[in-house]
Amino acid sequence: MLSAKARPKDASRRHILAGGLATAALKFPTIVRAARPVLFGLTPVFLDSDIQLIADLERYLSRHIGRPVQLVKRRTYQEITSLLVANQLDAAWICGFPFVQNREHLRLVAVPLYRRAPLYRAYIVTRAGRESESIHSLRGDIHAFSDPDSNSGFLATRSLLAGLRESASTFFARTFFTFGHRNVIRAVASGLAHSGSVDGYVWDVMREIEPALVLGTRIQHISDPMGFPPVAAARGVDPVLRSAIAAALISMPDDPNGRAILSMLRLDGFVAGESSLFDSIAEHWKRVQELG
Amino acid sequence: MIAAFHPQRWPLAVRAPLVVALLMIGIAAAISKVVLDRLARDQAQSFRQLTGAYLDGLSTALHSPVIRQEPWEAFDVLDRARHKYSGVNPRIVLVILPNETVLAALDPATYPVGLKAPEKARADRGEPDLGDPGGHVWVHRTLREGGKEIGRIAAEIDISKIQQVRQETFWTLLGVNGALTLLFAGLGWFVVHRTLRPLLRLSTYLARAGDGRLEPIPESKLPPPDTEAGKVYRRYNAAALAVSEREALLHRLADQERRALLGRYASAIAHEVNNPLGGLFNAVRMIQRYGDDPERRDRAATLLERGLTGIRNIVRASLVVWRGETDHQTLTTGDIEDLRFLVESEALRRDLTLEWLNELGTESSIAAQPFRQMALNLALNACAASPPGGRVCFSVRSDRDQTVLHISDEGPGLPADSRAMLLAAGATSANDANGGLGLWIVARIVSDQRATISIEGPPGTAITIRIPHAQPDLRTAA
Repeated sequence: MLSAKARPKDASRRHILAGGLATAALKFPTIVRAARPVLFGLTPVFLDSDIQLIADLERYLSRHIGRPVQLVKRRTYQEITSLLVANQLDAAWICGFPFVQNREHLRLVAVPLYRRAPLYRAYIVTRAGRESESIHSLRGDIHAFSDPDSNSGFLATRSLLAGLRESASTFFARTFFTFGHRNVIRAVASGLAHSGSVDGYVWDVMREIEPALVLGTRIQHISDPMGFPPVAAARGVDPVLRSAIAAALISMPDDPNGRAILSMLRLDGFVAGESSLFDSIAEHWKRVQELG
Repeated sequence: MIAAFHPQRWPLAVRAPLVVALLMIGIAAAISKVVLDRLARDQAQSFRQLTGAYLDGLSTALHSPVIRQEPWEAFDVLDRARHKYSGVNPRIVLVILPNETVLAALDPATYPVGLKAPEKARADRGEPDLGDPGGHVWVHRTLREGGKEIGRIAAEIDISKIQQVRQETFWTLLGVNGALTLLFAGLGWFVVHRTLRPLLRLSTYLARAGDGRLEPIPESKLPPPDTEAGKVYRRYNAAALAVSEREALLHRLADQERRALLGRYASAIAHEVNNPLGGLFNAVRMIQRYGDDPERRDRAATLLERGLTGIRNIVRASLVVWRGETDHQTLTTGDIEDLRFLVESEALRRDLTLEWLNELGTESSIAAQPFRQMALNLALNACAASPPGGRVCFSVRSDRDQTVLHISDEGPGLPADSRAMLLAAGATSANDANGGLGLWIVARIVSDQRATISIEGPPGTAITIRIPHAQPDLRTAA
């Protein structure tokens, strides 16, 4: 469930791919449109237990778009982003960081509303019971990141360290990627990592769903609000399809099945959103790039 | 004292169950060892298979993370496998790189990434010992790529459950075998005791035979005749009856011997009485003829008195000797002197010189009748054995503890069988007497009176019998 929530961000990336595919469909109207489902990408945070959520989301989108929808999952953010940019997906729920990185290739479809705002925060967590008063006390840690293309699970912490004129490799004794926000929490709770960078939305929802695991960690640092991982589509995707996907997502609170999905995702709904929501993430990226 | 505790002296009813118990203990120990050895082999094989499957699964999944040295993926593999091998109870699992640092551990808080692998996890000590007192063993699996070691898995497996099963099996075997041993020992005691009961009863009757009473077992206590015990009991009763009849026969024989002896001495007495009779008749005729002559009358009266005195003495001695078997009077000097008349008569008849010494004191407390019979038999035998003109010595002495009878003659010496019969002190039967029933009776009396006998000669024969005074009962032997 937690992973499911993290994935909506990646799903935006797949929209880009979906757009590309939609464009192709216009060129070969009848055959392609009738044979090819809409491909909707999701980042790999989902667990097997979220299969029900995937099935429900597929069914909901298919019904509201008027075409069959196939959800596509991959192991890393990068895989989904690449598929989206390469028009192999019509749309995808991606992270804000790859959206910023590929802003010229992608079109924003919708942004989830979490706690009534299209915003979320990045957390740096440590093991529960650890005495650490500031980010400085994490120096020399073994640190777990989520994904190299994750904003909250990588970029935000690097940006924070850049503000300290530090890089992850100099500040931490060792770092590794777990390729999932839930895995970051597992790594920290088990003691494999001393600290970790995790999506605040994922951590909050996991605390509700898997308190035994999450209570093994403690929030050490909370970032400023940033744009929630969006649903994006490639620029080449048929605007009609893109609009249909956006409409289906935005109208979710008006539909019982949509509300059920939102409930599972602990989201309030979707809004069209503005690209400027992700400017702060762009700032983080810029800061990291400046540090080299 | 120690000999009394020797197992050979233990009752069979104790020894047999004890042997059964010892056998059961031996069998139980052997069975237990076989079972425990087999259990140990099976557990070792099962442990090898389980840990082998566990390490195979881990090594397959860890191969890629170890090559890429990805701590999270390696940990994820260990963590996901944590509950998938219920038969294996890993306490510590380490993924160790060739530089002996930890890449991942099942418990990363204790064994963090980059830690130097603990010494106990470094060496592959070969086949794990499931009897390890610590309750855990280490197993190892090397990970290779292209023949080159890329890392290894070291896992400490909790074997306390395996050891617990062994312990439970051991105690179960001990309990069951112990109970069976006690049960069989009890059954053994019961069966043996029940089996031996007729034998023990027979043993009781045989023990009474040692006291001279060989009583038949009452009919009411006889087992059925078709049983082994029934047959044995009936054989015993038959033997007891035979012994009883033999005893009666011996009594009759002894009585006949006495009567034969009586006959011999009746003739001797008649001879002794007949000798003075001529003088007595002469004295009577002298009185009839010269009764008016005081001198001749007095001389005839003196002759009459002397002759009658001799007859009276002979008669008195005969009465004393053949007084009857109910005489339980204590031996006195007079008894010895009474014998003297009888023996002197025989000595005179055989032209022997009799030396008689009577030093019986007042301390003697032995019974008169058996002593008289014994002494008379020996003295007459001595007279019979002596050649004419020979010397027979008879002496009786006593002190505080014993009375000693000594009789010697100048005959050819006792025959070997007679000597053996006397020295056997009653252990032989009357059948061995070879006609010398008198000596056999002497031997029986010696035995009954707990006396000791010594025989010297040839030349001649000298028999010494020492009769202790502390005799509660001097029974007549014949």
